[in-house]
Amino acid sequence: MSSATYPAPADLLWEITRNNTSFLVKRKTAGGIKLSRDPLNLRNVHSRKHSGAVNDQAIGVVPSDKGGISLLTKKKSGATITHSYKPSKTSRKSYLHIVNSTAKKGYRPDLRGDAVARASALIRSYRKPVKQTPEAQPRGAKAKKNAAAAAAADL
Amino acid sequence: MTSVPQIQVFSVEGKADSELPLPDVFRAPIRSDIVQTVHAGMAKNKRQSYAVSVKAGHQTSAESWGTGRAVARIPRVSGGGTHRAGQAAFGNMCRSGRMFAPTKVWRRWHVKINLNQKRFATASAIAASASQPLVLSRGHRISSTPSIPLVVASSALPDLAKTRAAVALLKAVGAYSDVVKVTKSRKLRAGKGKLRGRRHRQRRGPLVIYDPATDGKLLSKAFRNIPGVETCPVTALNLLQLAPGGHLGRFVIWSSDAFKALDSIYGTSTSPSSTKKDYSLPSAQVTNPDISRLINSSEIQSVLRAVKGGAKSKRAGGQKKNPLTNRQVMLRLNPYAKGYAAAKLGQAKYKEGKPERADASFHNVLKSA
Repeated sequence: MSSATYPAPADLLWEITRNNTSFLVKRKTAGGIKLSRDPLNLRNVHSRKHSGAVNDQAIGVVPSDKGGISLLTKKKSGATITHSYKPSKTSRKSYLHIVNSTAKKGYRPDLRGDAVARASALIRSYRKPVKQTPEAQPRGAKAKKNAAAAAAADL
Repeated sequence: MTSVPQIQVFSVEGKADSELPLPDVFRAPIRSDIVQTVHAGMAKNKRQSYAVSVKAGHQTSAESWGTGRAVARIPRVSGGGTHRAGQAAFGNMCRSGRMFAPTKVWRRWHVKINLNQKRFATASAIAASASQPLVLSRGHRISSTPSIPLVVASSALPDLAKTRAAVALLKAVGAYSDVVKVTKSRKLRAGKGKLRGRRHRQRRGPLVIYDPATDGKLLSKAFRNIPGVETCPVTALNLLQLAPGGHLGRFVIWSSDAFKALDSIYGTSTSPSSTKKDYSLPSAQVTNPDISRLINSSEIQSVLRAVKGGAKSKRAGGQKKNPLTNRQVMLRLNPYAKGYAAAKLGQAKYKEGKPERADASFHNVLKSA
C-alpha cells in the first residue's frame, strides 16, 4: 500500500494518536500501563520511539509460519515489507540477518538491541525442553508427611 | 511540496488505470482539537428532548407537621385509613417523592457550531483520511489496499446497482477485509439500548463518497446492506461519518468524480470555493510542520553557538572491563595467565589429592625443641 499525499510529520501524528489509537492497550494495573498491539512495535510499549504507525521508519519482528520469524520494515510510502526467515540451527544467524538488513544500513540503529532481543525471545519460545524436569523430591515437613501417608497405606 | 502529488485511480476491477492530482483540501491542517469539539457539538444535534413528568412526586397534598411531634419536618401525607397517610412526601430523599432537580424538556439539547469551524473540521477530517498512519490508528484494515487515499474510477459506478457488484468492487480494491472486521465485531449492545432500536453495536467500515451528479444514487442502494459501509455524497460531507467518535482517519473510498469535485467544493489554495459563499481553505500556521527537520536544518544550525563543553559521549578513562570475564584484558594485566591456564596449574592441586603426611622423625624434631 502506498500513500502519495502530503505526509503528516511524525510529531503531529504522535500527538494525535498518543491518547487514543486502535493499537493502544491501557491497563489500570501496573501503574496504568500503556501497551501497544502494533506489529511494528518491538517492545509492545506505547511510546513515541517504539510506535510503528507514527514513525517514518519502524521495525517489527513477528512469528512466521513453520516456526520462523518475519522481519517487518516500513517503506517511506508507509507500506510494510516482510522478510521471512526459516528456522535456522543457529539463532545468531537470524540476528545477523535482522541487524544486517536494518541497523547496519542506518535503518533505525536505535532499535538494534530491541529487534535482536525480540527475535531471541521468539526463537526461544519455539525451542522444546531438552530433557524432562526431574520429579520433585520433597524435603522437610512435606517428606515426613508423604512417608507417614505411605506407611498408613501399607497398614 | 511544490509539485502536486498524483493519486492513482483504480478501475472497478482493481487495476490502476489513470491518475488524478491531489485536491488542495488534503493540505488542510489536521487539527484533532477542532474536530473533537465540532464533533461533540454535532453529535448533540440529533437528540430528542426527554424529561420526567412535571407532576411526578407532587400529586399529593402533603404538609409538614411542624415541630413537636418528634418526627422530621418534611411534608407528610395527610389523612388516615391508608398506609400512605403520614408518610413523607415531595423530597428527593423520600419514597415516591420527586427526583432531585427534575429533568426539563427545555434543557439545552442542541449546540450551535460556527459554520467556519464546521468546515474547518470537515476539511481537517478529509486531510486526515489521506494519512495512512491515522487510518491505521483508527483501526481500519488497509494492508491490502493499494493506496491511501483510495480512488475508484467513476465510469462504472452509475451502473453499480447490485450489492454483489459492490462487494466485488470492495474485494477488488482490497477494502473487503475492513468489512470482515465489521462483521466479526458485531455484538449485542449492553443495557437498555437493545430495546430502543440499537440492538447491536459494530465497528465502522469504509465510507464511500460519490458525486451524486454523475455517479447517480443507485450506488448507495448497492452498498447499504454491506455491514459497516456507509455512503455519502461529496456535496454533503458529514463530520460524523468522516471522523466517527471525533477520531480522525476514516477509511474513505472516493469515486474519481467526487475526488475531482473536491477542488470546486472546498476551493484550492489560490481560488475560493465555488459552492460555499466566501469560503477558502484554512492554511497551516507553519509551512513546514516537521520540527526536527527545522531544528536540524543548515539555516538554523549555522546560527547556533557551539555546545559548551562539547558532547560527552565517551567515558573519561575508557570503559572498565572485568579481567575475570574478559580474557584479553586479563592477559594485558597478567601475561602469565596464558601459561598458567595452558599448564592447567589452577586445577593441578585438586588432582594430587591430600599432601603426604610427614614421617615420625619430623614430629620428633618439632617437639624436641
